[in-house]
Amino acid sequence: MENITEYLNSGVEYLKYPVFGIYLMLIIVGGLTAVLSKNLIRALIGLILTLFGVAGMYFLMSAPFIALMQILIYVGAVTVLIFFSIMLTRAPDGDAGMETDGKKLNKQIILALISGLAPAFILGIIIFQKMPDALPLKPETSITILGGLLVGPYSLAFELISVVLFTAMAGAVLLGFERRDKK
Amino acid sequence: MNPLVLYHLTALLLLGFGLFGLTSRKTLVGMLISVELMLNGAGLALVASARLTPAVDAVGQIGTLLVMGLAAAEATLVLAIILVVSKRYGSVETIDISKLKG
Repeated sequence: MENITEYLNSGVEYLKYPVFGIYLMLIIVGGLTAVLSKNLIRALIGLILTLFGVAGMYFLMSAPFIALMQILIYVGAVTVLIFFSIMLTRAPDGDAGMETDGKKLNKQIILALISGLAPAFILGIIIFQKMPDALPLKPETSITILGGLLVGPYSLAFELISVVLFTAMAGAVLLGFERRDKK
Repeated sequence: MNPLVLYHLTALLLLGFGLFGLTSRKTLVGMLISVELMLNGAGLALVASARLTPAVDAVGQIGTLLVMGLAAAEATLVLAIILVVSKRYGSVETIDISKLKG
């Protein structure tokens, strides 16, 4: 089967929901681990699980290029950066990447729950009120078209994102630069 | 429950996780992880809207690519900031670095 879209719109459509459920499970388990785990390395593993789940959803929407970019950029680059920042910030008393237990006030948890739930609740109500109709999946957009748009009508955005990336890299180097003369 | 609503609810779930983590985490690294969760939710919502509504498909996908690029830039910069903070304060806990001078 050469075209994922045809495949998804054709006979195996009933497989869509179980597969979606699997990816949703990955996202939920990974997200909870990423948010709740005391050990930051475990939280990072949870984040990776979530990223793979989202990549799977991109595949399910027959956007394979975005899915592969998700795996390449997020799983390949961003998580490595986060891992570095865990590794390089060792607490003076030894353990790297542990959040101190401390007195985690119940009040704090409740406030955090509210701040997480309130926007989700409001947006959820809006989604359920609108309940937009879904079209059947469109044919897959080829990378050629995406690339053509990036160097054609959207070349300004493309250049700007390059400038932002360059600035971020230069800023990171500048910030990380250690002055030797000042002790 | 059509697929579009399902995808948007998933994106909403990611946003909720991210906001909860951002407010409940005590270290900068944990907050960075939560921000990445939220950005993923944004990308998922964009692609779902592009693929399953009459909107132009390629534009949504390009938007998601730009979001990913921004996320990479942000992670780089936050890594540098975390390094500087941990060098200067000896800790990356928000409680230790939230005091003003004086």
